[in-house]
Amino acid sequence: MHTIRTQRARAPWPTRLGVAGGVLGLLLTTAACGGDDGGGAAADGGTTREDGPVSMRFSWWGSDTRHAATQELIDLYESQNEGVTIEGDFTGFADYWDRLATSTAGGQAPCLMQQDTRYVREYADRNALLDLTPYIEDGTIDTSDLDENVAETGAVEDATYAIPTGVNAFSVVIDPQAYEAAGVPVPDGSSWTWDEMVETAAQVTQASGGQVYGMQAMGLNGGDTNFEVYAREQGEALFDENGEIGFTQDTLVDWWNIEKEASETGAEPPPSTTVEVFNGGVDQALVATGRGASGFWWTNELPALTAGAGRDLQFLQFPSAEGNGETGMYLKPAMFWAISSDCESPQEAAMFLDWLINSEEAVEIIKADRGLPVNTELRDQIAPTLDDAGQAAVAFVEEITPDLQEPPALPPQGAGEVQAILQRYTEQILFDQISVEDAAEQFMTEVESAIA
Amino acid sequence: MSSTLDVSSRERPHDEAPPGRGHDAPRATRKKSGRLAPYLFLAPWFAGLLFITAGPIAASAYLSFTDYSLIGSPEWIGLDNFERMFNDPRFYQSLKVTFIYVVVSVPLQLAFALFLAMVLDRGLKGLALYRSVYYLPSLIGGSVAIAILWRQIFGSDGLLNQVLRFIGFENPPGWVSNPDYALGTLIVLNVWTFGAPMVIFLAGLRQIPTMYYEAASLDGAGKARQFFQVTLPLLSPIIFFNLVLQTINAFQTFTQAFIVSGGTGGPADSTLFYTLYLYQRGFGNFDMGYASALAWFLLLIVGGLTAINFLASKYWVFYGD
Repeated sequence: MHTIRTQRARAPWPTRLGVAGGVLGLLLTTAACGGDDGGGAAADGGTTREDGPVSMRFSWWGSDTRHAATQELIDLYESQNEGVTIEGDFTGFADYWDRLATSTAGGQAPCLMQQDTRYVREYADRNALLDLTPYIEDGTIDTSDLDENVAETGAVEDATYAIPTGVNAFSVVIDPQAYEAAGVPVPDGSSWTWDEMVETAAQVTQASGGQVYGMQAMGLNGGDTNFEVYAREQGEALFDENGEIGFTQDTLVDWWNIEKEASETGAEPPPSTTVEVFNGGVDQALVATGRGASGFWWTNELPALTAGAGRDLQFLQFPSAEGNGETGMYLKPAMFWAISSDCESPQEAAMFLDWLINSEEAVEIIKADRGLPVNTELRDQIAPTLDDAGQAAVAFVEEITPDLQEPPALPPQGAGEVQAILQRYTEQILFDQISVEDAAEQFMTEVESAIA
Repeated sequence: MSSTLDVSSRERPHDEAPPGRGHDAPRATRKKSGRLAPYLFLAPWFAGLLFITAGPIAASAYLSFTDYSLIGSPEWIGLDNFERMFNDPRFYQSLKVTFIYVVVSVPLQLAFALFLAMVLDRGLKGLALYRSVYYLPSLIGGSVAIAILWRQIFGSDGLLNQVLRFIGFENPPGWVSNPDYALGTLIVLNVWTFGAPMVIFLAGLRQIPTMYYEAASLDGAGKARQFFQVTLPLLSPIIFFNLVLQTINAFQTFTQAFIVSGGTGGPADSTLFYTLYLYQRGFGNFDMGYASALAWFLLLIVGGLTAINFLASKYWVFYGD
């Protein structure tokens, strides 16, 4: 706008304004594009509260309960740490990634961010995340009490880009009352098979006259994780150690055939309903609305599901092919904390991160909402204070831990797309638009090019 | 655009300046201040155009020739992005969805708008009220709230299906969750936002001198004949204007599909609009270079179709005189 002031006196000023503005506009856009070189390596100290008041942005995704609890954390930390201001910034999961990508592109990434397995490498490989190794080595971030199953999951080669917030397992959630009402015995989690899962589910649907569905579709909600559990049971994986596709086409065909059968026998709802239920999120889940006997969910989602259902829900292990309880389930870092390489006060961000995972007060506020606390001592300490659903999650994770597989390595760039691709092909299969074999073949090609 | 057309009175042609202001000012002062003033008033808009619109447009032109992940720096890859389009099945799917949408919804919407404009033109009492009421959907139709409302109404157990079940349909489909019907539902939503073209048609109808109708009816032409021989030819410039505008609008449809499908273009890509796919590539999949190429290709399509529209207009648009 300041161009207007200076131009008054001379004659062809609209032209001048145009040229000046055009040049400025170009400069601005190139500046915006080029603002993200550098970074990556641990910054040279940055500013701390000793240099004057420090302000950091902190972003996360989640539900309303998480937003409230996290704001409480921020207030508490600010009251204990004079000169540190933390600006919270939150959205739902899907919008979070659009916003994080654009703000990172503009050099305005939040200092401390909640991260997800699927996206850590997307950001780390492009030097958008800070290597936390120096802060771990000098003790700013204390990792000594962290659950050793997942402590190293934020590492890429020699660098650690992310620290897990907590642990989670993807499992089956059932509504025992729905089985009872249908007169179908609740399956035994230690010995059920995939066939049994579809059969009992179909019985529930039939007995309830279609009012209650026996199970939910596998390929929509958490579809990539759901398939990963199946692939790992077969000794395969979604992605192998090198970040390449780790499963065979046959395995995917088998898995989709289970889905197809569940759809055709009425074990799961008609495809239209499946699509609508998925779009409704956790609140509209079948088991959360009394319309389903079972579903596939993360352990930290049980409180939300229970709140919706208004009655007790239970965990069950995934089925297996042989019925021997040897499933592909694994303990997963629920989410991560990561620090942006653009952060001006990385030391302060690291201190806040350490407080979030290792301080009793912080863990008492957030409880198991970001997964069971990654600090195992604090996990044991808060376990008795959790509500029924939270305690059930702790007990379940403890019970199955000995049988669990190692968590997978961080998936490659492009892994964030897999869920959407899998969902699309699952929809096409359910609506009879494509054969399972063709879908599997095209899925492999598409994933291949997504991670290339 | 619709605001430039004066609907309220047919007495005063809109190219005549309102009386009074400006006319008495001496020529000399007018020259000095009069030259600068309009530019000053234009300046805020112009600055916005430059900094908010033109800058990104120029940047996207450059980015369309790069591999740009949004987080890293753009790398020049020449025409690769454009070549990639032709091997991308989802690109074709999005083109297909968008073309069906444009070809079906625009004519339907215009026909509907013209029909209602003719009904309203018959000099109803409370015309202003009806006009506003029918215009409402145009104002709110593209909004997030309405898209969410439509998702509810057209759901498997939504309002529409409850009514259908009540009157005896056994198994009505999920109108937005079944790939066979989802696009159709969005087309209906677009036709429903007929207000803007309707107001413009109304203005056009009121500019047709009544003497033509009188002459036609004296010659024994019925209502239908009058419509085809008098109304349509005299209205053709307005129809053309609406056609061009609504076509361009329809190509840019985004919000409804984004909300109704939860951003996926689903179920099974049946509502994968071009703009939605572009958005997914750019912001969801760290593929801003390809997304920019898609954006420029869309510009080519829309520009090309508009040009064809203008060429074809020679054969059917009648400018009177």
